[in-house]
Amino acid sequence: MLITEHEGKALLAAHGVPVPRGSLVRHAGHTRRWNNGFPVAVKAQVASGGRGNAGGVLRANDADEAEAAARQLFGREFGGERPGAVLLEPWLDHPRELYLGLTVDGTTGGYALLYSPAGGVDVERHAPLNYACGSARDFKAHEFRRLLTQAESDGAVRERVVALARRLMFIATAIDAVTIEINPLAVMPDGKLLALDAKVVRDDAAAFRHAEVAEALERARKKERPTVAKAIQANLMMVWLDGSVGLISGGAGMTMAAMDLIADAGQRPACFLDCSSNPTPAGYALAFKLLDAEPEVKAILVSIFGGGTHMDRVARVMADIMKKRRSRKPVVFRMNGTGRDRADEVMQEAGLYNHPTIESAVDAVVAEVQKP
Amino acid sequence: MSVLIDKSSRVVIHGIAGNFGRFSARDLVSYGTQVVAGVAPGRNLSEVEGVPVFQDVRSACGATAADAAIVYVPAPAALDAVLEAFDAGCRLVVYPGDGLPVQDAIEMRAAALRKQAVLIGPNTPGIISPGEAKLGFMPSSCYAPGRLGVISRSGSLSYEVAWRLTTAGIGQTTVIGIGGDPVKGCTAVEAIDALHADTATAAILYLGEIGGNDEHALALYAARADAKPAAALIVGSAAPPGKKMGHAAALVGSHADTQAAKAAALRKAGVHVAGNLRDLVHVARLALPQAHASALAS
Repeated sequence: MLITEHEGKALLAAHGVPVPRGSLVRHAGHTRRWNNGFPVAVKAQVASGGRGNAGGVLRANDADEAEAAARQLFGREFGGERPGAVLLEPWLDHPRELYLGLTVDGTTGGYALLYSPAGGVDVERHAPLNYACGSARDFKAHEFRRLLTQAESDGAVRERVVALARRLMFIATAIDAVTIEINPLAVMPDGKLLALDAKVVRDDAAAFRHAEVAEALERARKKERPTVAKAIQANLMMVWLDGSVGLISGGAGMTMAAMDLIADAGQRPACFLDCSSNPTPAGYALAFKLLDAEPEVKAILVSIFGGGTHMDRVARVMADIMKKRRSRKPVVFRMNGTGRDRADEVMQEAGLYNHPTIESAVDAVVAEVQKP
Repeated sequence: MSVLIDKSSRVVIHGIAGNFGRFSARDLVSYGTQVVAGVAPGRNLSEVEGVPVFQDVRSACGATAADAAIVYVPAPAALDAVLEAFDAGCRLVVYPGDGLPVQDAIEMRAAALRKQAVLIGPNTPGIISPGEAKLGFMPSSCYAPGRLGVISRSGSLSYEVAWRLTTAGIGQTTVIGIGGDPVKGCTAVEAIDALHADTATAAILYLGEIGGNDEHALALYAARADAKPAAALIVGSAAPPGKKMGHAAALVGSHADTQAAKAAALRKAGVHVAGNLRDLVHVARLALPQAHASALAS
C-alpha cells in the first residue's frame, strides 16, 4: 500500500536519508504554530499519486497565506481522497532537481533503480536510466556508477546518488518497500542531496512481519463498503463492482474470466469474489449471506473450478446452504474440477442443477437478471 | 516430450504431513510422478502415504536422490524452505503458496539463478506434462498429452482451459503455471523459451491477465521470424482500473496494462487472441498446425 509523504519521509529519515524539517498539521488553524520561516510549502497528505500536478502543493509567503492554503487543501479531494493532514516544510531554493527511484521489476524479477538528471513534475516525459540489479545483495555500486556516467556528468552528484541508492536498497529490504520514489531529489547549494518528496509503497504481503502495515491494512479494510469489509475479514477476496450478477467464484483468473463473460453477455458483475483462500462451509455461507443482503444483486452465479479444492465437498456445502437459505434470489451453479463426478451426484440428489459449461451458466444467470 | 519434468523426475514433498501434503502425495503418486521422499520437520513420522519422511530436505535428497521439490509451507517460512531445497541440490522447485512478500520472491529467484536451477511460483498450481508427470495440484483429469504448450498466470483459469482443450481433442505438451505474483521464479520469457526449445511443442497458448507487462514478452516472441504459432486469452476486460483482482499482479495501473491494450499488442504481433473463454478452443486450433489440431497425441 502507498503511504503518505509524511509517513514515507519519517521512514526514510529514520534510516539516515536527509529530508526537510517539516511539521504535520491536522487543522488549518494550527498552521499558525509554524515558526520555521517563510516562504513555506503547504502539502496535502494523501496516499495517491499525481498530487503535484493536481495542485496539492501550495506556496505561502506568510502565516495568513499558509492558513488559507491549508484550508483550501483540506476542502479538496486528491485521487478521491480528502487529506487528513497537511505537511508544512520550508520552501527551499535549490539549483537542481533530480529523480531517484527504487522499484520492483517483474520482467527481470528483481529490484530496479531508476535515475533521471532532471526531476520534478515532468520526469515522466523522458525514460529514466534503469539499473536492474536483481536481489538486494546483487546491488553493485560500480555497475550503477558506470551506468550513471551516461546520464549524470557531475561526478560529485554521481557519488552522492550512488550512496543514496545503496541506502534505499537497504531500506527497501528492511521495511519491505516495493517502491521508494524521491522526486524531486534536490541538490542543495552545498552539494548535498535532500529528499523533497517521498512516495513509498509497502508490500501488503509482508504485513506479517510489520505490525504497522497490518494495522494500516486493517484501517483500510474498515473504510470499505461493509459487505467488502466483512468478506475481507473472512479471507474472501472481494472487490465491489456495482453490477447485478452476484459472483461466487474460486481463483482470481477464473473469477475474471467469468466477469468478462457476464459483461460480454450484456450484464455487469456485482463483485469480484474469490473464495479460494477460504473454501470452507463458513466461507461460502458468508458469501451467500453478503450477496443475499445486497439489494442490487438480482441473481447469483457460483463458478468454481477446483484443483486443490474438492468439488464433491463444495457441492455438499452448497446443497446444505441452499436448504437453509431464505433468500429467493435465483442461484446458478457451475462446478468442475477435482471430484466433479461425485459433485454432480450430490447436486442431483439435492435437486440442484450443475451446468456443464461456464457459458451455459452465464447465459442462465443473465437470463434470470433480465427477467421482468 | 516435456519441459522441466518427466517420468524420471524424483520428487520430494516439503510439508507432506499436513492435510494438503497428504492429499498431494496420493494425487502425485496416482498420476505416476515418482514421489521418493517427504519432509516434515519436528514430526516423528517414518512414512506418509507410503513415502519415507525425513527431518530436512538435505537428508531426504541424500537418501533418495530426489532432484525436484514441491514446497507446501506457509509464506512466513517459505523462503527458508525453498532455499533449503536448492541447497540440497534440487534442480526444480515449485512453490505454490500465495501472499509471499515480494522481497522473498526476489531472493528465491536469485537463488535459483545462482544454482542454475528453476523455481516455479509463487502463487501457482505448479507444472504438468500430461502423460509424463506433474508437480502441483491441478486436477489431472483435465489434461491429455498432445502438442500445445500452455503458460498461465492463473491456476483456476488453466484448469478450465485445459479441460476445454482436452474435451475438444487438443492435448498439451506441458502446462506451466508461472503464477499470479509480480515477481516469478519462472518468468513469461523463460517459460516461452522452454516451450520454444521443446521439439514436441507445436504451438504456444498463453493465458494472461490485466496488470504488469508479462504479455509484452509474448508479443516480442511472436514477432520473431522463428517463433512457433501462438494463441492467447487475456482476462480482466470487465475489471475497473486501480483495483487489485485477487492476484497481487492483477491490477490495471496504466493504459498499457489493460486487457484491450494487451490484446491489441498481441494481435499486432500475430498472436491469435480469444475475446473471451467462448472462442478459446477456436484460437488454439488457429495456432496449431493442421496435423496437430484435431487429434490428441498417441
